[in-house]
Amino acid sequence: MPSELELQISPIVQESLVHNSRTLQNLQSLTASLFGVSAGILGLESYDGFLFYLAFSLLTSALFYLVRVAPSSLTAGPRYFRGPFEFWAGGLMNGLAGFILTWTLFYGLVRA
Amino acid sequence: MAQVPVQTIHRDPQLFYWILFPITIVMILTGVLRHYASVLMASAPKRLEQKAMREQRRLIHGMNLRGNFHVLSQRSFATRRDALITAYESGTYLKDPERRGQAPPNPMSDPSSMEGMMGMMKNQMAMIIPNTLIMSWINAFFSGYVIMKLPFPLTIKFKSMLQAGVATKDMDPRWMSSISWYFLCIFGLQSVFNFLLGSDNAASQMAQQMGQMGPQAGQMFGPGVDPDKQFLAEAENLAVVEHHSVLDGVEQRLLEGIKV
Repeated sequence: MPSELELQISPIVQESLVHNSRTLQNLQSLTASLFGVSAGILGLESYDGFLFYLAFSLLTSALFYLVRVAPSSLTAGPRYFRGPFEFWAGGLMNGLAGFILTWTLFYGLVRA
Repeated sequence: MAQVPVQTIHRDPQLFYWILFPITIVMILTGVLRHYASVLMASAPKRLEQKAMREQRRLIHGMNLRGNFHVLSQRSFATRRDALITAYESGTYLKDPERRGQAPPNPMSDPSSMEGMMGMMKNQMAMIIPNTLIMSWINAFFSGYVIMKLPFPLTIKFKSMLQAGVATKDMDPRWMSSISWYFLCIFGLQSVFNFLLGSDNAASQMAQQMGQMGPQAGQMFGPGVDPDKQFLAEAENLAVVEHHSVLDGVEQRLLEGIKV
């Protein structure tokens, strides 16, 4: 944890942090809906569907990390998000409702 | 363990066209409508008279000084702090200094605070009215239909929630009625609205409820708050700040940063 003095020497801009989190959140909720569509079309049921969602949203986070965050953050220090937990796991809860909605819709349209 | 046979119910495919799609489309359009209604109904911030504006700005000035003292040198911080504390304690910046120490006016009688409450009421109404309307619309037209099957199993407890209006005892709780599709839409359409209206939209009820839980920006200068007390508290906060500058020991840091 950086001390107060270090934060004052190189401050973290709250607005940019919020903007970053919001961008990530938008991406995750949009992709969660698309994962729901694909899970429904594939006809996954119960645990399969949730595992599908878990795997693919972690994959999205990983791609986001590799392509957008890592190139600049590894040289300048990790200061683009509030913490690793929010980055990796925050999107899971954000997108879950959208995932279930589209999953149910397309499962109903295609299978049942 | 005996394999429980999977229930299949043959349903008219027309159910999709006449129940599922109307509910979904209506939910999306209501969200869009709510967004634009709240954009249109948002009242422009009222112009404050000069004294009241000064009162607010001076308080914010004190807070900013307290938050950013580290960029000032010791001397200039001390000067600012002394000036602000003297002014706060003598009540120079108050809107009407002769009313110091009296009880704040009743917020119900103040017309400017009524405005704020009206705004809050309008937001509440914009949320409650469409919900009640759609709920009763679905209940009136679509109750009693089983339209879809959830892709994941649920316990029997969910039966009364998902199959409201369908009184069948042995049906698997995975089957859901139209009213539960409505609930799924309430929770899950946020991403659709994000996509359609941008991320800071007012379409989803969930986001609005979250916003009401959080602290409100206008509360600081809200009605019923005594500005004199705020000033005194701020003066006290300023008085206890222990000053250090961000430039303290900067030579050391510079020399450490230079690689020979």
